[in-house]
Amino acid sequence: MKTVYVCSDTVTGIFSAVYDAWRAGTKAEERGIALRDCLEMELFCDYVQVEETERKAAAVDGMIRKNLGLFAYRNIYQAVLAADARKGSAVLGTLLAARNLSDSRRIMEHLSCPDVGKVFELSRSVGNEAHLLTEFIRFRELESGVMYSPITPKSQVLTCLAPHFADRFPLENWMIHDKTHHAFAVHEARKRWVIVQEERGGTDGGCGAAGGRQEMFGQISEKEAEYEVLWKSFCKTIAIKERENPVCQRGHLPLWYRPNMTEFC
Amino acid sequence: MRIQETMTVYDKLNILSDAAKYDVACTSSGVDRSNDGTGMGNCKACGICHSFSADGRCISLLKILFTNECIYDCKYCINRRSNDVVRTSFTPDEICTLTMEFYRRNYIEGLFLSSGVLVSPDYTMELLCATLHKLRKECNFQGYIHVKAIPGASPELVQKAGFLADRMSVNLELPTSESLKRLAPHKTRKNILTPMRLVQNGRQENRQELALYRNAPQFVPAGQSTQMIIGATPESDYQIMKVTESLYQKFELKRVFYSAFVHVNEDSSLPARTDGGPPLLREHRLYQADWLLRYYHFQADELLSESSPNFNVFFDPKCNWALKHLEQFPVEVNRADYKLLLRVPGIGYRSAERIVKARRHAALDFDDLKKIGVVLKRALYFITCRGRMMYPTKIEEDYITRNLLNVGERLPMNVVNMGYEQLSLFDDVRFDSDKVVQMG
Repeated sequence: MKTVYVCSDTVTGIFSAVYDAWRAGTKAEERGIALRDCLEMELFCDYVQVEETERKAAAVDGMIRKNLGLFAYRNIYQAVLAADARKGSAVLGTLLAARNLSDSRRIMEHLSCPDVGKVFELSRSVGNEAHLLTEFIRFRELESGVMYSPITPKSQVLTCLAPHFADRFPLENWMIHDKTHHAFAVHEARKRWVIVQEERGGTDGGCGAAGGRQEMFGQISEKEAEYEVLWKSFCKTIAIKERENPVCQRGHLPLWYRPNMTEFC
Repeated sequence: MRIQETMTVYDKLNILSDAAKYDVACTSSGVDRSNDGTGMGNCKACGICHSFSADGRCISLLKILFTNECIYDCKYCINRRSNDVVRTSFTPDEICTLTMEFYRRNYIEGLFLSSGVLVSPDYTMELLCATLHKLRKECNFQGYIHVKAIPGASPELVQKAGFLADRMSVNLELPTSESLKRLAPHKTRKNILTPMRLVQNGRQENRQELALYRNAPQFVPAGQSTQMIIGATPESDYQIMKVTESLYQKFELKRVFYSAFVHVNEDSSLPARTDGGPPLLREHRLYQADWLLRYYHFQADELLSESSPNFNVFFDPKCNWALKHLEQFPVEVNRADYKLLLRVPGIGYRSAERIVKARRHAALDFDDLKKIGVVLKRALYFITCRGRMMYPTKIEEDYITRNLLNVGERLPMNVVNMGYEQLSLFDDVRFDSDKVVQMG
């Protein structure tokens, strides 16, 4: 009978599930991983709740880096961040398939294997989204001088974005707010960036704090409004009227990115 | 007329970005540089576009002119001396503040600084250098800078700008020197090619220096590019591709950009205004062919010839080539070498790479090709997988042409109207083919 390991939708959760599934030692098609939030029960399956620990995740993390190499690791890591219910099983399947190759480091070239194909597809879509967000993120200067950027991504891209901006703005205090997954990437000038998970508390105190935060993020500095006007007018004048083409613009810059962008607000 | 009152930065930005919009190059690619921890900015080799304007072109750099005053009278240019437009100039300080503040908000990837020629080429180039120096040394800006070399400026100034910028470009303006003489009477081919050669030599010397001393200052690390106007003069596509090819080979350019001619001035030596808009399809075909030269190991002579000097309106250059060389097809995907795979319509250079890697693990079938990213509806006439074609097809030019036309080409969204102008009863575009002289 197939055993499905149920875990939360986080890197730690999925890697812990991989750890448990790996140790089960049954046939590849008798193991699967499902996410707790989008669980669809199937017939003839055993469902096991995974105990998620940092130790298990670190072990799997190290195992992938050591045996499959950095290139495959990056692909698998990005696939784990995707917004997709089947990602856990695809990652597990890829790792199991790698055992059958004489050189496991070339697993990502083995695209005709369905699980590898899935991981490739997921990792590509997360990579693309992260890349587009490095382009389309807009920072606003708050009254406190902190640069603040709200985003609403589909996948959990904060860890892909933060290194880029940490290198770019080492002397700035900035913060990226992932509203979909309720998390922040926070960077203090001259220090390392950190991920902070927003508390999803139902208590009144929590709501009050969240309300206060919203208010704080709304207060922009004096200069900010001025530069927003300059930027908007620049975007308008730089277009050539004779070549106007909104379809092409939408192809490159889909509408769902725009609510968070200064020039389209 | 000169406007005497002082303008706000807002007005200046409007005027000088409007004047710069016809410059094509807005790439921020070609150089990888991390921040050293003391300033602001870094560079990514892949290039980053930060937004897209209403015409669908990317906005990557703060593209502005330093000034739109100009002593030249180029017939196609909005800022020509004889045009009555509002003139203004930035100060170096204003440009620095704008760049830094825009960059900080992740609006832009860097600065693209061009300029009209104020007083003299040397005077203008000196102003550009002063601006870049301030931006790099005082503001400690480590992002991308693209600067134009002004034709006719002294070598020392070009050199100086080269050590501050990431990319330099000199506009070729028009494909042949004949056309240049006609439409840009104050510019000469020699004046344009001299700084281009200078940058090329500078880069070669710099490469040796860097091999010896890893931390030597870098000279134009992202290479140089150029651009020319398409459709203002009677050159054929073949001539343009030959010029492009020689620029890539003899001047080691990173990119050649083509800009479909947009009517901004009325002048008797410009082609008559038609309703067709700028020749966007032609521009698109040239870019396609340009990619074939740079990534697909094609040569200009393979794509076009004296007898058929223009690109096919219906097929992209690669498809067109394949239809004329059916004797080389079909190609067995599991065995053909990389260079031959590159020539199959529907297989891009990335898919070709993936095919070469994936076929080591298992013989590929059409399903696998689809996953890899091959456009099967076009490739299927030219390939076999494990000795079989996808459907029974004839390898005949007429048959394949008919089928491919049915499939239709997915033209990029910026080619809305067919750019090859239609003939009308009152056409007067002054295209006399006998006057065209090819560049040596």
